[in-house]
Amino acid sequence: MHTSSMLKKEFLKKWIKGLQICYSSNKKMDLVERKNKIKLSADIAMASAKKPATCWSNALIFNAKENKQDKVLVSKILEPESQLQKSRDRIMSVNKRVECKKILKRSCNCGKRMKKKDLATLVVAKRLVKKRTKVLKKLVPGGGSIMNELSLIKEALDYILCLKVQVDVMRSVVTAAENTYIYRT
Amino acid sequence: MENEGNGNCSIFGMGIEGSEMNCFFNTNSMDQKDLFESALSSIVSSPSNSHHAVQFPCVGVGGGGESIVLRELIGRLGSICNSSEINGNNSSNNSCYNTPLNSPPKVVNMSITGHHQFPVDPSRFSTFGGKNELSHVIESGKLSRVSSNQSFKKMNKLSMELDESSVSETETGTGNGIGVKGQSNNANGRKRKVVAKGKGKETNAKDDKVVTEVEKEESDAKRSKSNEEKKSNEKSTEPPKDYIHVRARRGQATDSHSLAERVRREKISERMKFLQDLVPGCNKVTGKAVMLDEIINYVQSLQRQVEFLSMKLATVNPRMDASMEALLSKDMFQPQVSMPNIANPFDTSAQSFPYGFQSQLNGMVPDRPENQFSMNPLMAAMHRNSVIKPPHIDGFIEASTLWENDLQSVVKMALGQDQSQGFLGQMKVEL
Repeated sequence: MHTSSMLKKEFLKKWIKGLQICYSSNKKMDLVERKNKIKLSADIAMASAKKPATCWSNALIFNAKENKQDKVLVSKILEPESQLQKSRDRIMSVNKRVECKKILKRSCNCGKRMKKKDLATLVVAKRLVKKRTKVLKKLVPGGGSIMNELSLIKEALDYILCLKVQVDVMRSVVTAAENTYIYRT
Repeated sequence: MENEGNGNCSIFGMGIEGSEMNCFFNTNSMDQKDLFESALSSIVSSPSNSHHAVQFPCVGVGGGGESIVLRELIGRLGSICNSSEINGNNSSNNSCYNTPLNSPPKVVNMSITGHHQFPVDPSRFSTFGGKNELSHVIESGKLSRVSSNQSFKKMNKLSMELDESSVSETETGTGNGIGVKGQSNNANGRKRKVVAKGKGKETNAKDDKVVTEVEKEESDAKRSKSNEEKKSNEKSTEPPKDYIHVRARRGQATDSHSLAERVRREKISERMKFLQDLVPGCNKVTGKAVMLDEIINYVQSLQRQVEFLSMKLATVNPRMDASMEALLSKDMFQPQVSMPNIANPFDTSAQSFPYGFQSQLNGMVPDRPENQFSMNPLMAAMHRNSVIKPPHIDGFIEASTLWENDLQSVVKMALGQDQSQGFLGQMKVEL
């Protein structure tokens, strides 16, 4: 609980910062744009609030930086953590390299050794698990570079925790905003 | 006929196993093994191996020398038989039960533990009804046993362990079966030899009487010891393991691959358990695929919620720019840790904001009886907050101090009372 409230604080701080930056620019944004900005700042805030930088958080920030539009916003949110940023970038570039290598290796690799017993059920079960791991890899940011199933699950659990925190804070802010709005009108 | 033949074969196989053990202990030579292999492999092909997917090569039976050796073994078998007969059918742990004669039942048990796919139900085993099943089981048992034998010492240990095996293997079998995924090819090669030996014995069997007696002994021993063995089996199938030294469970391969796999699997199941606590409504452990499914669903739902909430915030925003800023600044006050940092910027902004906002808040608090949060806790909170004054905001004007208290009450509204109490408490502590 302690860590989650810490996380909440950090996340909120950064998110507010990001939102302020968003709104400081006076250009008119339509709904979708605004929503995307909000979401992005929330995601980045979450990822940077995660102190022991996990794989998914690094991947999230890295991917956000790839997008030129959001790069400024991202760098502004992450401003005081330039050191961490650099290390993140390094890690992500390494991950990309590793990922490419592994893809190459996988393509060259032959089939696994088959068991002698009845394979039907095993094969089906494995296929199911494989399918699901693929889906999970797509969902979790940076999951594509995680080869080990175990660490994938670990990352997924971590990601779920942070998403929960994010949703809680966002929901509370939304309700507060709604309440103030209701009051005002 | 075939069944009977198989039964006999199995009995002799067992006998041979036991004798083998003795031989190994005494002579420590592999010559007999080779002899047996050649002699018995011919029988391998004959029995119906429908229950196994294991196929063994068909080699011709050897010459006279082998038969001599075999006869010797049969003799030993007979002697063992006699000794066990003398000791009777009591279920006590006599030394006779440690003789190789009793290894067959354990072999049987081993097989069940080793091969979860083996379609033998416990009822058949306990009643010792079908020789057919027994033979199959024994064969597979030998396979699994040999697969876990990397040295004579291990075999020795195994024989000792086997003495305390039970008939209730299928349960443990299914449990261990999940762990027995990776059996090495090396072990398979060895399996072949042993089974060949076991089967070969049958052709040269001469003492049917002995066979039947042995069989009886086994069945009796089994039935009588089933309860004891059950417990010990369960115990033995849960050896303590840690990262560095992983003990091989009974009936499982001991090569590094499968061990590492098992460790990995256990880690995964650990994570699964953690996930169960995390994901609501995920109490039943029903397998990896289902678990992953749950994770995926939950992640998707959370991501969708984030999208939805950000959309909601986006819709709410444009109509209340001023209040949004106020909200933001209010929220900025929440993490009071950052306050010393933003003290300066807020000195100026505090001037412009607080009064208008303050009035708003003051108006808000009493004018909203329909507020989902009851007023009393809020008032109480406000009082409480006014008492607890963070010292470092002396630099702030009093209005902002008062504003802070109001904000804190609003924060309580925003975050929900339980959360914010802890939240604010934390923040205070940090100051």
